Amino acid sequence: MRIAVGIKWVPNTQAVRFDPETGTLIRKGIPSIVNPHDLPAIEMALRLRDAVGGEVIAFTMAPPPAVKGLELALGMGVDRAILITDRVFAGADTLATSYVLANAISKVEREYGKVDLVVFGQETIDSSTAHIPGQVASWLDWPYVYYVKDIQVLGDGRIRVVRELEDYIEEYEIELPAVLGIAVRALKPRPVSLYNKLRAKLNKDTIVVWGNSELKLDPRCVGLKGSPTIVAKTIDMPEVPRKKEVYKPRDPRDAARWIVSKIVEDEKLRELLVKKLWGG
Amino acid sequence: MSSQASRLKVIKLGELLQRSIWDVDEERHIEVLKQEGLRVKALILLCPMGCYSLAGDKLIMSYEGCVECGTCRVLSGSDQIRWEYPKSGRGIQYRYM
Amino acid sequence: MNVTSKFDIIVVGAGPAGCASAYLLAKAGFKVLVLERGRGAGSKELWGGKAYAQPLREVWPELDKEAPIHRWVSKERFSLVWGERALTIEYKLGRKVAFTTYLTELVNWMARKAENAGAIIVDEVRVDEIVVKEGRVLGVKSGGDTVYADAVIDAEGVNRLLLEKLGLVEKLNPDHIALGVKEVLSLNPNLIEERFMLGKDEGLAWFVTGDVTLGLPGGGFIYTMRDSISIGLVLPIGPAAKAAEAGLLKEHVSSLVEAFRLHPYFRNLWREADVIEYGGRMTIEAGLKLMPRKLYMNGLLVVGDAAGFLVNTGYTIRGVDTAVTSGKLAAEALIEAFNNGGPTEENLKSYEEKVKKSYIYRELKNHSSIGDVMSDPFFFQKLPQVAIRAASKLFEADYEEPKLIRSFLDAAREEDVSSLKIIYKLGRVVGKL
Repeated sequence: MRIAVGIKWVPNTQAVRFDPETGTLIRKGIPSIVNPHDLPAIEMALRLRDAVGGEVIAFTMAPPPAVKGLELALGMGVDRAILITDRVFAGADTLATSYVLANAISKVEREYGKVDLVVFGQETIDSSTAHIPGQVASWLDWPYVYYVKDIQVLGDGRIRVVRELEDYIEEYEIELPAVLGIAVRALKPRPVSLYNKLRAKLNKDTIVVWGNSELKLDPRCVGLKGSPTIVAKTIDMPEVPRKKEVYKPRDPRDAARWIVSKIVEDEKLRELLVKKLWGG
Repeated sequence: MSSQASRLKVIKLGELLQRSIWDVDEERHIEVLKQEGLRVKALILLCPMGCYSLAGDKLIMSYEGCVECGTCRVLSGSDQIRWEYPKSGRGIQYRYM
Repeated sequence: MNVTSKFDIIVVGAGPAGCASAYLLAKAGFKVLVLERGRGAGSKELWGGKAYAQPLREVWPELDKEAPIHRWVSKERFSLVWGERALTIEYKLGRKVAFTTYLTELVNWMARKAENAGAIIVDEVRVDEIVVKEGRVLGVKSGGDTVYADAVIDAEGVNRLLLEKLGLVEKLNPDHIALGVKEVLSLNPNLIEERFMLGKDEGLAWFVTGDVTLGLPGGGFIYTMRDSISIGLVLPIGPAAKAAEAGLLKEHVSSLVEAFRLHPYFRNLWREADVIEYGGRMTIEAGLKLMPRKLYMNGLLVVGDAAGFLVNTGYTIRGVDTAVTSGKLAAEALIEAFNNGGPTEENLKSYEEKVKKSYIYRELKNHSSIGDVMSDPFFFQKLPQVAIRAASKLFEADYEEPKLIRSFLDAAREEDVSSLKIIYKLGRVVGKL
């Protein structure tokens, strides 16, 4: 089985702070990381490969420093990695990005052989659109299932996919090739291992770099030019300072009353609520 | 543009922690194994990141803000605290130190 | 190249000591693997802010031109503060001896030098064990993976998890170790130069003692970086922990650092500055007492903080230059050993001899009794109070100014300390500083 896993190199948004004086986000000096929601997707791909054999190829479209992210994926056990990078790809929205990624998958098939499965993390922490997996599936005209928790390989070119939703679990049997969005926290990612990291370091050809001279895409369809998305207006939400209060009553009913008094402003409604729930 | 306004106001620890960056692992690398005999007051006041706190009588260790300095390790026995470095390059990511 | 292929040398830890060793060994043509637990070299580094250049130049002669140096220290300041009062001494240096920078940046540079010289640096990998068989070090283990080498250099830093496992060192004693807590304040370079009276590229190093530590042993530091100021406190852990347990220390250490930042005597130097990073690390207080039973064994050398090679003089902490020097000595000893048949215990003995002949060991011995000063509360409570009170008599006289000796004697009496005790203690400390 040949599995491609798409990852995104994103700013560590945990660290992005709001400057109340200038009204902007402070992004200076924020190191990037592999989108944390992509790690379960890498783990899923590795487990499938370990179970049925084949290879896992990690790919990302990003500026060159994203090579650090691919090294992490290789360290986890991915067999090879592709950095798709070119100035003409810069400024892309999700449509232009998915167009490049889908074409990269086609090139992977030309270079390394048929791709059976493309997996992505469900969404990214820096934009959260969850567009990419679906759009890549559309470009490739492959089936797409998202919120995937589990995959079983059925052996006749089909897989059974378990997707977990809020109230119910669904199972699909789909024909390969397919694109899957792996649910957030579906699996615990394995740590980086010494051998994998060393193998990637010693074999320089484990990471290949593709620009547009390799992909040969119409420059009008990629990067800023290929991006129809218009950001009409952005509103920065001012940071609300959090307050902490501690109340430790003996009787849990007092605690309940206290909490209600904190969240329900209207006094009459509050009384009614307390009375209804705890009998006064 | 940074403003010229005075910033001479106390920054609470919770806010100070916002100024540093972590790539937090899902797996905890430090764990209280046995609370008896631990130097609780020293741990609470000296862990520079305030990772140790009491919930009632129980000592809680929040590994997320740990900078892997080892102070709690020095103050405790190996049977009281399990202490390791995070894996995969995770944990504190210093930039200007 | 196969991953199971053997290396000549594995270095554990891409810090100043590990990078110096790796750089020199790779340059000499050895197959060197450096394993670093952080993401990229430098991401786990924290220090005060100042490095002495000459020992670093001995490894990297191109240091002044290439290294990420923020400012050359042109002024050293010392302050004693108590309450609203402060006494400051300043020295203007005549040449470029030390520089300020972020250790995160400096170590990253050192690692790149090692990599460019041919060392293979693998980051994000935590070494769990040094593999030993029949008294001989064979390699290192991380998770389930073992990599083999003829020799291993342990540059794991102050937390000696690996050496403890090997039984080469005891668990750290809180009395031999201090906690450093630090804030980085971003400030416009022009303001830094104006406020500290510095030229462009000139820096200041400032050591502060007195009640910034609430009378606990230890002190404060201030270093000017290119466009920021590093400030922080260093507190020996033993006494601080006891003070916490006795109820003498009631606040979290971060509040002490904040009080230092907001101290009336200092705060206007950086009043607009934003805190851009906060962190802490442990530093060695009594280097000699931390030295492993042996600095070498069959196939192993210990360098840097792991070997206790940090000199604390009471007013300066020198850890990076000593680490680099020990890394250099280890590389030299290994090269000789490889030329003499291999890194056997007998052949690596020369490392310990080199260390004992070097300035590191002389300095460690020279300043070894500083621990007696650091653990004596007298020097952090009574003495500063007497000194400040004496100064106040000299400088805050409305009409009559006492003679110097009178101001001192009166101050001692008013602080309820015998002048003889002060003279005795000072006499002892002068010999130790």
